[in-house]
Amino acid sequence: MKRVHMRSLRILQCAAVLAAGLAVSQEASADIYNDGKVLLTGGVFTVDGAGGGGAVPWATISGYETRDGINGSAAFTYVNLPALQVSFYGVNVGFWDRFELSYVDSRLSLNLPNLQTVALVASLADLDIGTEPWNSTLGMQTFGAKLRLFGDAVYTSDSWIPQVSIGGLYKKDRNEDLVKTLGGYKTKDYEIYLAATKIFFPISTLVNVTARYTSANEDGLTGFGACKNNGLGTGDCDNDRELRWEVSIAHLVAKNTAIGGEWQQHGNNTGGQSVNINGLNLTPIAGALANLGIDLGSALKQKNEGDWFDLFMAYAPNKNISFVVAYLMFGNISVAPDQNGFYFSTHLTF
Amino acid sequence: MKRMKSLLVSAVAGATLLAGTQIAQAGESKTNPIMGIPSAALARFGGEYGVHNWVESLFYYIMLDNRINYIFKEFGNVDRQIALNTQLETMVLGGPNEYQGASMSAAHADLGITMTQFNAVVEAAYNACERNNIAYYTCNHLIAALAPFTRVIVTK
Repeated sequence: MKRVHMRSLRILQCAAVLAAGLAVSQEASADIYNDGKVLLTGGVFTVDGAGGGGAVPWATISGYETRDGINGSAAFTYVNLPALQVSFYGVNVGFWDRFELSYVDSRLSLNLPNLQTVALVASLADLDIGTEPWNSTLGMQTFGAKLRLFGDAVYTSDSWIPQVSIGGLYKKDRNEDLVKTLGGYKTKDYEIYLAATKIFFPISTLVNVTARYTSANEDGLTGFGACKNNGLGTGDCDNDRELRWEVSIAHLVAKNTAIGGEWQQHGNNTGGQSVNINGLNLTPIAGALANLGIDLGSALKQKNEGDWFDLFMAYAPNKNISFVVAYLMFGNISVAPDQNGFYFSTHLTF
Repeated sequence: MKRMKSLLVSAVAGATLLAGTQIAQAGESKTNPIMGIPSAALARFGGEYGVHNWVESLFYYIMLDNRINYIFKEFGNVDRQIALNTQLETMVLGGPNEYQGASMSAAHADLGITMTQFNAVVEAAYNACERNNIAYYTCNHLIAALAPFTRVIVTK
């Protein structure tokens, strides 16, 4: 019952945000509404909500507005990996090709047999560790803002100066218990990034480099920083932010189609640690499971977090909709090794 | 630097006038993209004749676009604009500088052109390339060569 209520609340929330976005673009349609950008030059919708590629935010301001007005967009992205699925619902609004606001709601469903075993034991033992026996969900909200500092990514073909923007993201995990069970420390944190983007017309290619100051585990989906001792968010915890690099390269094969790849450097805060269960000693449970032939010790050890790589194709038949399909190589995620899979995103622009 | 160049150009033009020839003063010079325009670009456009065809298509799409056609209509004489644009585009693609019109900044100074309107012309340019079967990559060479004019054309 509680679950159903939560879900309908969330849907309402999404609908409200969407409606707000629509209202903005309709009310303003007289003067302020603008869709004057050339196709695809605003980028698509990242999992963080900022305009950019798939995972890497670019310096471009999202939406099709030029400096003459405002435009907004909504997007849905679905990621399917062997051990998990993630849905992202988001909206963003671009103001005068200068400033951008964004919001994304993400839901990550874990289908990990080893974690499910723990979840089953935990539910039998009446422990609240944020897991559900058959499908544990990690939710996250991301609020973002981005400001274009200087430069024009598109038209300064006679200079090396790129378009440069600074952005901030505030991320808030919903399932705080599970983040802590998975060894994360903070469940809310901010990230700051600086992005430089330039289109090289003679080679029909867009290049973007982003530096992000963050302590995120898997983009924040499994929290920020790590606790080494227990799962209570206390003890030997740290949330050391660091500078991580991200690169996007998009080659335009036609005015409405781009192919390319991305690389996003990740940290390794939780690698090598065991899953924490409320700070409890796992040995008795491990012993019981060992009788069933399950080696809990190694099965519940967090793998080293891998950098994210992806290859994508973006297609924009017109200025109202674009699609992105991508193949993701995400490396190890939490206790799941070698997560490679597919990404599908729909980006609606008003 | 630019001023030096235009000074030089006018000096040369002045000299040629003095010499009694009838070459008009060049009102615009070649742009200098950081990733240069390949020497084959003009040939891929079909030479000067191909560029002329492309400009005709460009104006076809411009005159159909209600966001911008009125600006061009005000100046009447679309044929003259097509001729001048053919000269300009031939020049920036690596051809000879036979441009007889005003400089881009002088020609657009009082028009209050917005980025949206400029982008509309760029969209017409891509449509014209498609219409004339000019490859997307070749089309982008022309876009790269014309892009620096954005700064003087867009004044609003």
